[in-house]
Amino acid sequence: MIANQILGQNERELDEKSEYLVLSFSPLSAPIRSRWRNNGLSADFLGDFVTTFFSAEGDLTDASAHQKEIKHAVTYIANEFLENAMKYHERDVDIPIAIRLELTGTQITITASNGVGAEQADRYKAFVATILSSDAGDLLVRQLEESSMGTAPNASGLGLLTMINDYGVRLGWQFEGNPRYPGFLVVTTSAVLLPGPGTGVAK
Amino acid sequence: MKTITGESFEIRMEDNHSAVFFKGALRLSGVTDYLPILELLKETLVNPTNPVVLDLKELDFLNSSGITMLSRFVIEARDQAGINLYLIASESIVWHARSLKNLQRLMPALVIHLT
Repeated sequence: MIANQILGQNERELDEKSEYLVLSFSPLSAPIRSRWRNNGLSADFLGDFVTTFFSAEGDLTDASAHQKEIKHAVTYIANEFLENAMKYHERDVDIPIAIRLELTGTQITITASNGVGAEQADRYKAFVATILSSDAGDLLVRQLEESSMGTAPNASGLGLLTMINDYGVRLGWQFEGNPRYPGFLVVTTSAVLLPGPGTGVAK
Repeated sequence: MKTITGESFEIRMEDNHSAVFFKGALRLSGVTDYLPILELLKETLVNPTNPVVLDLKELDFLNSSGITMLSRFVIEARDQAGINLYLIASESIVWHARSLKNLQRLMPALVIHLT
């Protein structure tokens, strides 16, 4: 029996109204090469979608610069999440790869989930433990140095570190057993963006 | 002029290897896919001009695998004596201000010119 596990930031404001959009892909339906282009299209779509919730209040120049920042952050995060999910999902089980964009009055949350085998889950948990116990900026520079020597143990971790370091994102993780597929887990990674006052998302 | 193109991007290197221009969105899938671009960049370090310029101001998007590729080049440039590396970036492209500063932590002498 695999115990469910929650790591990092996973707070939810349950009382708040939210709006959300979910894209879901079957891991069995197409090889990763032909799927890769879809990551960019989906990420661009989520980035464009989030802009429809911006209010037109405030100074237009500042507002549009700020909106551009949020749009890009959403696109970047969604793209990294999808790339990681496509790379690491377990191909032998029909656990969908899903990405969800959720907006409340105060925050934007992007969540990705996919199925993994127990070994891959353990590797990911170990990396999460490193992230939670380190300074993201220092760890990012260290990973970049190591990657240049070809010794980076987890190249995909760089996407998560840039989210924290460059975009001020708070990350959270959840590992859950799946009753249909014993021995496999569903890993969910969430990124919370706090767009700041006056953004007016999901009013 | 040497070029590498893909569905969403174009990379061109000046004939004298003094500058490499990037345009579009780079979302290749990992180290192996980025290798031809890294190899092209490394050509600027053979008989280098002063400075060596990477013009990124039309590169709208770069995924983290691309950031890894750029940092590998920056580390190569840092570790070779006498290289002056300039990055031309744009204030209107969000990731430039957000992520290029990490490269300066790898190579403090790196010059980033925001236009």
